[in-house]
Amino acid sequence: MLLRAHDASERRLAWWLLAPSVALIVLVVIGPLLFALYLSFQDAEPTVGGISMRFVGLANYVHHLVQSDLFWMAVRVTVYFTLVSLGVELILGIAIALVLNERFWGRSVVRAMILLPWAVPTVVNARMWEWIFAGSKFGALNGLMKVLRVFPPTHDQVWLGFDVPFEAVPVLGSLFKWMGVTRALNMIIVADTWKVTPLVAFLVLAGLQTIPSSLYEAATVDGAGFWRKLTHITLPLLKPVLLVILVLRTMELFRVFDIIYIIMQYSIRVLGVLTYEVGMKFLHFGSGAALSFLVALFILGLALVYIRLFYTEDGY
Amino acid sequence: MRGRRKGRTVVWLRRAGVYLGVAVIVAWTLAPVTWLVISSVTPYNELISDRATHWFPRHPTLANFQVMFDLSSEVGERFVFAIRNSMIVASSVTAICLVAGSLAAYALARLRVRGKKALVLSLMSIRMLPTITLVIPFFVLVSYIDYGFMNIGSSFHLFDTKLVLVTLYTTFILGFVIWIMRGFFLTIPTELEEAARIDGCTRLQVLRHVVLPLSSPGLVATGILSFLLAWDEFLLALIFTRSNNAITLPLFIAELGSQYITAYDQISAAGVMAAIPPVLLALLFQRFIVQGLTSGSVKG
Repeated sequence: MLLRAHDASERRLAWWLLAPSVALIVLVVIGPLLFALYLSFQDAEPTVGGISMRFVGLANYVHHLVQSDLFWMAVRVTVYFTLVSLGVELILGIAIALVLNERFWGRSVVRAMILLPWAVPTVVNARMWEWIFAGSKFGALNGLMKVLRVFPPTHDQVWLGFDVPFEAVPVLGSLFKWMGVTRALNMIIVADTWKVTPLVAFLVLAGLQTIPSSLYEAATVDGAGFWRKLTHITLPLLKPVLLVILVLRTMELFRVFDIIYIIMQYSIRVLGVLTYEVGMKFLHFGSGAALSFLVALFILGLALVYIRLFYTEDGY
Repeated sequence: MRGRRKGRTVVWLRRAGVYLGVAVIVAWTLAPVTWLVISSVTPYNELISDRATHWFPRHPTLANFQVMFDLSSEVGERFVFAIRNSMIVASSVTAICLVAGSLAAYALARLRVRGKKALVLSLMSIRMLPTITLVIPFFVLVSYIDYGFMNIGSSFHLFDTKLVLVTLYTTFILGFVIWIMRGFFLTIPTELEEAARIDGCTRLQVLRHVVLPLSSPGLVATGILSFLLAWDEFLLALIFTRSNNAITLPLFIAELGSQYITAYDQISAAGVMAAIPPVLLALLFQRFIVQGLTSGSVKG
């Protein structure tokens, strides 16, 4: 009896502690989310003195999935951006972590310094690289290319331009061809990677430090070289960390908006930019809401795939 | 003898390789920001000269920074408001998130709550939700609310206020804060709390006198992370702010320079100033942040 009373008071306390957060989340996330779902079945647009709504059923979804090819074009651009960025971030992140895990003079200073790009705000990062990629003689990258004699002194590359329009390129066929897609998108991948890779490297470094050095010593005794140690000890033991990075980064990359919008406005339509354009530039609230749900469903699908990976690989 | 020499060569080569790698990492990390800083102290006419022959300013100047604080110029006025708004919004968000978030995190880490699993899962899924999914209903709802107040003759409005930014940012960052703090609370041994309970402390006293002091590194880490996230946010500011009343630094920097004149001297100066607070925080509290990031994402 006493125990139950104690239990009840504990429950009450728990709810008091949770109340502010839960209230905020219900008011600002769950409520609007349901409203967005409602909007996505409407033809909703602003009119003088209010918003006009007309129920259209699934028409908005059908429009994006079937009638307009803008959605699938944006899917291709987004998938390309996500896959290439993920690949570069993971490979560079692991490489940087492996170097920083070695002993060298000034290690703690270098380790601290590498957080710097991560701390630079996205907007500053976007405009900084925009200036580096300036497609004229003022551009730092063009200047560097001339100093290194890669370009002749008269050549100025337009880095943030379009060699081949994205629509003309099937994604998988060109995935690994650097010049096969718009150069601009690849340059934005460089800029985004500069900011995010240090974070990946840090998480990998934290993972590396949990690997007991005795494993490496044993492997050395057995005559294993660098590559064998990497593929047989380091990478398998890093798997939990790498999976977490994969989940977090896929989601962030898939919903990317700011860096692309700031540098290219509407010229590169990833899903985030297309949704913003439909919903907030043309003010088709219903259509935009439907589009945003399609993006959310894509991300949810990816999350489920990853969670399955987690469950089967690690058993929790 | 030969074997030993060969071994020494390998060790030497390995060391050289490590230092080469470190040099490349340092150069790659520092070069872009260095260029940003150089550009910020270069006068405009030198900035638009041929880069291949001209990297460093012959007449370095702080004029680009002075413009930002010159309240009589349009740019300066907007910048001062933007930095003030960013400070107010980011610190309010941090304070609210820390208080509400750590209380909730403690409940989720230690107390028996019905539907705890569902709560934790839904917190995680909120983090996965693209901001844009919520932006459209927010926009419609905020317009409805503002219309309502206008119709009853009140001048109260949500659009273009710091209040709406703080509310939205808080909610988006809260899930993250709860997630990390829960991780920290779980690492505190329960024996300490039980001992305090036996000594007659109530749950709240245990939280105040035992748990919070022990998790202060976690509080510092989450505080800084929420500040950085709020300082960085762009999309919501783009949609919900217009005037000096609420415009934040990211929006100011994204707007700087028109289609005709790209004022990279001013953009660089504003960029340097916008980057200083988060970079300083990250460098000073590096250890806490890494601890927070790893406990939030790796252990989570």
